[in-house]
Amino acid sequence: MTAAATPPARTHEVSRFEYHLLRVLRFFLGHFPTDQGLSLLRSSIAAPTCLSRTAIRLAEETLAKGCVLFLARSGAWRNDRYLHEGQPITGRVWERIPLAERTLSFTPAVLRFVVWATSEKLPGTKEKWNPPAEGLTPADELFFYLAFEACRADPPLLDVLRHREAFATNPWAWLACPAEVAGHAEARPPSFDPLFAGERAAILESLQPLFFQRWLNSERLKGKQSDWKQMRQQGRAELASLQAFLGAADRANRRDLARFVLQVNAALYTKDLTPTYWTGSLTAQGPPRLADRLDTQRAALAVPRQMAVFQAWAEQARNVSYFDEGYTASQLWKAEWEAASGDEIAARAERTIEAIEPLRTDPLPPEPQTGSSS
Amino acid sequence: MSRAYRISVKSSETRTLKAADEIGTTLEILEILPPEQMAGLLRGELTAQGFEDQPDGTMIRRDGDVTITVDPCSGEVTVKAEAAGEVSAEARQNSTGFDDMGPTEEMIRRQMKEQLHGDLEKKFDTAQQKLQQQATKELEQHLQDLQPEIAKILNKVTREALKQKAAQMGEIKEMSENETTGELTIKLEV
Repeated sequence: MTAAATPPARTHEVSRFEYHLLRVLRFFLGHFPTDQGLSLLRSSIAAPTCLSRTAIRLAEETLAKGCVLFLARSGAWRNDRYLHEGQPITGRVWERIPLAERTLSFTPAVLRFVVWATSEKLPGTKEKWNPPAEGLTPADELFFYLAFEACRADPPLLDVLRHREAFATNPWAWLACPAEVAGHAEARPPSFDPLFAGERAAILESLQPLFFQRWLNSERLKGKQSDWKQMRQQGRAELASLQAFLGAADRANRRDLARFVLQVNAALYTKDLTPTYWTGSLTAQGPPRLADRLDTQRAALAVPRQMAVFQAWAEQARNVSYFDEGYTASQLWKAEWEAASGDEIAARAERTIEAIEPLRTDPLPPEPQTGSSS
Repeated sequence: MSRAYRISVKSSETRTLKAADEIGTTLEILEILPPEQMAGLLRGELTAQGFEDQPDGTMIRRDGDVTITVDPCSGEVTVKAEAAGEVSAEARQNSTGFDDMGPTEEMIRRQMKEQLHGDLEKKFDTAQQKLQQQATKELEQHLQDLQPEIAKILNKVTREALKQKAAQMGEIKEMSENETTGELTIKLEV
């Protein structure tokens, strides 16, 4: 018995540089081992004047499939409910959002960056690469965020990237890892307003579970942070990022897209928590000034602080009547709030925040017993 | 034959050093009455505790080196401790030079002066740190004393507001207060 002859696998010929470039691209998209990818970035190889047609086609294919696969795996596959044109729609991302609003298109800036990263010996670079972030498409921003994520294991490399505009103003990076993007500089998050419309809103819906997990892990790890300076820097970056993000969500009337922050609080506050849950390892001698120590402790509670914003949203939602504009959006937020036991979580968060305040007062006397007779 | 010589340089300086520490927080004032009435009650209670009105609407009390500022309208409280002191520091350096080899006397003196400057700065830094510790310690101690006082003031303001609110609602028939537990019972006829 003979096996039927299989047609020979189709091979693509690329140059050595292009081979490296495709591997670097796969590393940025999370499809290549981290250690090998970082070692590729740390080595340099002379870039040709132009890339072959085959290499460009392969890069385009890798980019398109890699980004879509990442979004699908991150949460786009989930059967979820979000607002679309003011109405809650249930389904997976591709069922909720029309194709035109979830088509990813990349600019040459992406490939130029990959060429630069492949040819340069990072983190020391000879050629300056720092294009303006204005012309980047939502898909470009998503790719640059993925590249930033891929390099998180290498702090010197991250330091090189965070000073480039494409990364410093990347909204996805600011939402996923604000402390890493801000570095030691003052936290200045970009405007989050564009995230609530078009392709960016579709991406944001897809990334909700990912952001939830990232923030939850970050909060759980804060209790192990023993460096006062790093805690302060991280807390300030998180606070700046969350405040800007929630403000933008409110302006766009897309409070449903802030769901992951509410869910993180709900996952944390399964019981009453004291501030030591976050600051328990700050046992070493901190800054000499009490003002700085208090500032650090307050900054560490950036996430529970957002419950006050959500509570205000819930209050507003309760006051929206059936014939008012935005009734359905309010109902959706009310449902989110109730599903997360928002009132209880907000009360617990408030108690945690009050516990670090230096002039906190004891509970006030109970309400007067009003015996009325007429 | 080379001749050795000894160079001695001395420098002293007096500086006025200042250090401060400050915390700010917001008092939780219940909205039993309209905000301006609650602010009025708080203002009255703060005056009774020795706070003085300021042109910007805030109230200030100075307890030694500690200044407490309260904004009755917003409930913002700032507690600031300051410490200042005149510190004198002296540094001395000795060195040996040779007239026919090594650096010249002028160079040695210049190097020694630079070292002296560094030594003086270190001494002033140490003094500054001590002053900072002093200010912070004073602030921490003062906050411990201030906390029950502020709680008492807020308690009084809340009780007074409740009484006024009850009086607005109807005729007060009976009122009993327990200073120890902070309980207030008002019976009124509507």
